[in-house]
Amino acid sequence: MAATFFGEVVKAPCRAGTEDEEEEEEEEEEEGRRETPEDREVRQQLARKREVRLLRRQTKTSLEVALLEKYPCSKFIIAIGNNAVAFLSSFVMNSGVWEEVGCAKLWNEWCRTTDTTHLSSTEAFCVFYHLKSNPSVFLCQCSCYVAEDQQYQWLEKVFGSCPRKNMQITILTCRHVTDYKTSESTGSLPSPFLKALKTQNFKDSACCPLLEQPNIVHDLPAAVLSYCQVWKIPAILYLCYTDVMKLDLITVEAFKPILSTRSLKGLVKNIPQSTEILKKLMTTNEIQSNIYT
Amino acid sequence: VDVCTFEKVGIRGTNIVVLGVEKKSVAKLQDERTVRKICALDDHVCMAFAGLTADARVVINRARVECQSHKLTVEDPVTVEYITRFIATLKQKYTQSNGRRPFGISALIVGFDDDGISRLYQTDPSGTYHAWKANAIGRNAKTVREFLEKNYTEDAIASDSEAIKLAIKALLEVVQSGGKNIELAIIRRNQPLKMFSAKEVELYVTEIEKEKEEAEKKKSKKSV
Repeated sequence: MAATFFGEVVKAPCRAGTEDEEEEEEEEEEEGRRETPEDREVRQQLARKREVRLLRRQTKTSLEVALLEKYPCSKFIIAIGNNAVAFLSSFVMNSGVWEEVGCAKLWNEWCRTTDTTHLSSTEAFCVFYHLKSNPSVFLCQCSCYVAEDQQYQWLEKVFGSCPRKNMQITILTCRHVTDYKTSESTGSLPSPFLKALKTQNFKDSACCPLLEQPNIVHDLPAAVLSYCQVWKIPAILYLCYTDVMKLDLITVEAFKPILSTRSLKGLVKNIPQSTEILKKLMTTNEIQSNIYT
Repeated sequence: VDVCTFEKVGIRGTNIVVLGVEKKSVAKLQDERTVRKICALDDHVCMAFAGLTADARVVINRARVECQSHKLTVEDPVTVEYITRFIATLKQKYTQSNGRRPFGISALIVGFDDDGISRLYQTDPSGTYHAWKANAIGRNAKTVREFLEKNYTEDAIASDSEAIKLAIKALLEVVQSGGKNIELAIIRRNQPLKMFSAKEVELYVTEIEKEKEEAEKKKSKKSV
């Protein structure tokens, strides 16, 4: 409403939108805020689809309590990503008898299958093992991507809501060298190379230099490390920066310095045999690609 | 371009140039002959590349045409430096124009010029090229180059067979499963490119192993 020069009142167009429009907008917003039963159903379905389920090995039923609340743990080694998993498979898992304790099944957009209920055993993405001769030593082989909304669930189902502090966690993972923040050009970096990041309570020394500032890590390794820092659990993350993200012999061998640390001491016996097993793993997994010569 | 590539070694001898490459395992149903890594650009020049095979094919075709065009125009075969400069200029053009991406290959170009001197050049995707006495390209190039730096001597390259053995030894540093995964090509002065058969390579490998054994025996005798 505006008054003209002659004193008459004229309805002037409001630049902020007319009053009617404003009312309409408010109504729309309210409708948007008001969740319809369909919306709720969709949201619940999506939550169910993205649920992280921890299953017992034999019975394939869900574990009622968190994995580390059920079993006592003194050492927990987690490998995330195909290169870290290959390293543990060749060097640690064949040096002792490891028994599968359970697996974590989850689905997100990164998974290749769309069927969430019938994931086969080969697709059990996170498998948990313990050493038969010393059942408090645990190992996790995680070769899938755990999405941001699933990381908290994963941590809860594995560590529980009140974890013990007398265990030591070692995480191994890989990252592309372009993620490494440095003023040098990535071409001059000696990739693959190892960097470490540890929680305040981890008192041992790392076998490689610590990750310099800005020391940013991502995804599940970051979630586990943050969790351990909050709960004052000694944990260390060994991060291998590499220029080849697929399964690669040189990248896996870059993890070798970790074999001499306290985290893996006593768990590795036959290194030459392990190297042979690793080579075999590489050749069986080699995708016949003719793109590169 | 060092990602996912296999080793290539180039050595410039006095009377011979040697190119050795790591053979990648071929699928069972694949015809091995079509997986070529060492290509002749002309009778007296050849090249080995590391990187994207399709990009290499394009570059090699253009280089081959240029070699013949040069011969027809100036009635002289190209010098190794000329054709290297041509390839490098071509690569550089693709780094500086819109909508195109660089050629993803590094190349080792070897050959003999009319003056009878052997040449070895290396190019990379940026379009730079440099002359080398011996060089390696591929994933483990650093390791191989270190080996070459230690073992490249004037004696080593004076004799043809020594130069060939040096190339094979350098490759054996990084190639898994030994001699059967090595492909070798040589150019002798005034002679065309010669590709070694698997048997010929094996002969050299056995000779190298024998020499190594003898050297170790001598060492143990000395220490005793």
